[in-house]
Amino acid sequence: MSLRTPKLRLGLLLLLTPMLLWLLLLIILPHVNMAIISLSERVSAGEYAFSLSNYAEFFTESLYWNTFLRTATMSILVTFLTLIIAFPVSYYIAKMLRGRTKGLVFALCLIPFWVSELVRTYGWMILLRETGVVSSSLQWLGLTDGPIEFLYNDAAIIVGLVYTSMLFMVVPLTTTLDSLDDSYIEAGYDLGGNGFTVMREVVIPHAMPGIVSGCIVVFMLTLGNYLTPALLGGKDSLWFTEQIFTQFITRFNWEQGSAFGILLLFLSSFIVWLGLKLSRQSFTRVMS
Amino acid sequence: MTNSSSIITDVNAHPTQDSSAGPDTYDLECRNILKTFDGGFTAVDNVSFQIPKGSFFSILGPSGCGKTTLLRMLAGFEKPTSGDIFIKGQSVTNTPPNKRPVNMVFQHLALFPTMTVAENIAYGLRQRKVAKHEIGDRVKGVLQRVGLPDSGNKNIAQLSGGQKQRIAIARCLVLNPDVLLLDEPLGALDLKLREHMKIELKQLQEEFGTTFVYITHDQSEALVMSDQVAVMNHGAFVQQGTPHDLYYHPKDAFVAGFVGESNRWMGRISSQSANGLEITTDSGLGLHGVSGENQSFNNGDKVEIFVRPEAISLVRGQGDSNNSNQLACHVVNVLFDGAKSQILVKDPQSNGEVTVSMPQTADFENLRKGELLSLSWTTEQTRCYRVEG
Ligand SMILES: Nc1ncnc2c1ncn2[C@@H]1O[C@H](COP(=O)(O)OP(=O)(O)OP(=O)(O)O)[C@@H](O)[C@H]1O
Ligand SMILES: [Mg+2]
Repeated sequence: MSLRTPKLRLGLLLLLTPMLLWLLLLIILPHVNMAIISLSERVSAGEYAFSLSNYAEFFTESLYWNTFLRTATMSILVTFLTLIIAFPVSYYIAKMLRGRTKGLVFALCLIPFWVSELVRTYGWMILLRETGVVSSSLQWLGLTDGPIEFLYNDAAIIVGLVYTSMLFMVVPLTTTLDSLDDSYIEAGYDLGGNGFTVMREVVIPHAMPGIVSGCIVVFMLTLGNYLTPALLGGKDSLWFTEQIFTQFITRFNWEQGSAFGILLLFLSSFIVWLGLKLSRQSFTRVMS
Repeated sequence: MTNSSSIITDVNAHPTQDSSAGPDTYDLECRNILKTFDGGFTAVDNVSFQIPKGSFFSILGPSGCGKTTLLRMLAGFEKPTSGDIFIKGQSVTNTPPNKRPVNMVFQHLALFPTMTVAENIAYGLRQRKVAKHEIGDRVKGVLQRVGLPDSGNKNIAQLSGGQKQRIAIARCLVLNPDVLLLDEPLGALDLKLREHMKIELKQLQEEFGTTFVYITHDQSEALVMSDQVAVMNHGAFVQQGTPHDLYYHPKDAFVAGFVGESNRWMGRISSQSANGLEITTDSGLGLHGVSGENQSFNNGDKVEIFVRPEAISLVRGQGDSNNSNQLACHVVNVLFDGAKSQILVKDPQSNGEVTVSMPQTADFENLRKGELLSLSWTTEQTRCYRVEG
């Protein structure tokens, strides 16, 4: 039967309707609204005119521009670190463990994510603050004289973000690595490969869709994260989402906030597109 | 059932084993290989064999008998609990798989789907740091030899089952291994293609002159292709010999039943004489037979009796023959399969079913169900093997 039969087309339409509604109401509509707001400027009370000044503000005011660059580079760093840590973990779960232990260890990776992000971040604060576990143990061991503050800097943000992102990397990686039959790895060795070449030529090419989809998700979530940078970062550790928050909530400058929101969307999409081009993957293949 | 003409050519072609030859004339030698898994289960039990250079060696056994485990030890993926493996006289027992001069064709081939056909074949050469231009030449050469000169740029998914097979073999043979290991590579193919690939594999082996170790649970594959076949059961080699040997001189009841088709009866020896044995089957049939290889019996011993379907002569209706075993039966069914057609008959006396090869003469064309047939076969073709217990 082809899709052209009226009955089937109706079925497809019915199936897609909730999906399309969701997209329209929650994604497209707010964004269109935001785009419209972002393109207007308050002339006087209750009077708005079309203007690009909100966008111009972003490019001319170096604080905004730099905050965005900082956020983007740190997100890329976080994505990269998450990948480096998650890959061995996933490989171990998918390829080295068998049967029940495998399920158990995988579940162990998931358990921290049953707790809300706020509580998890608070956990990091307990560990890293001046009077926290790490600082006191170091003093107890005699490695330092006074208490050390590990919080409120970029490193703390990165640690918190990598931890928060772990799950979104481990799950797609474990799934793709699991689908790689052991015989491919064995064939790689049998034909003369060593651990490094088998990893590079057999395992990683196979896991590429999982790697890229994990990276996209982690990058987007990190870039759009608000809580972790706000709680773990210091005064100078600005995150772009905090700028948006400030515009909307503190300054009541919805026009500027909307412009930042739209810019975040486009710039992050551009970075993802660039990443896909560089890794020669297609979006539909990665997400399938 | 089996293609007997190719067995005969195989026997003629088989290189005679020279017992005075030194150890390095064997491409592969195993001495007392034992493999016990963690749970204490012995998968391979004290297996020893030698494979002369350039021969096609098959290991034949039922599912779960330890064939794959043995092959994986030869490839280096599994370490024998005890025993030694030699390749061209050199011990490789402690050599990792990527350093062994053997290559393996996996059961599901394991062609890398992320690479093209040419890249798959070049993979092993690249690991050996062969110069770029030489890689290109050798890939082209081997593709030519397996008859797929134009598929270098194809993706693995674009190949048919038989083509994948050939590429998987080419990927190994391009490395000139001393021994090629094949783990039931035809298992995933459909029947027609399997028949075709049997012949092709044999031809490839002869063309390349590489020693093949082929494992299978399909006795017809083993018989058609091999110079030597080892029959394996419960982790041990039961018998090793040419296909002809195994078919006509099986050493025990397991080999007799596993290699080729047979009609079987259980019975007891009732008397013995210079002319052979008198046996009474459990269903009350009296038969004349001979003892199988290296068997000797006492009266009253429990035996299993084997008669090949093609050993039985047929006469339509009531008939007499000089053969010592005679049985009048009714046709139950005709299993038509061209030259391999068989007739299923029932013996009214014991109610047992017997399979007989259909003679390729016009006389039997219009056989009907229920018709009376006179079966007969000689004493020599009735082999008895001891059954324990
Ligand atoms: N890693 C292992 N641990 C424990 N037992 C194993 C292991 N691998 C195989 N076995 C057991 O060893 C026996 C032989 O297995 P093997 O795979 O060698 O059989 P096979 O002859 O290749 O069978 P098939 O024809 O079905 O492939 C089986 O009973 C199997 O359960
Ligand atoms: Mg097997």
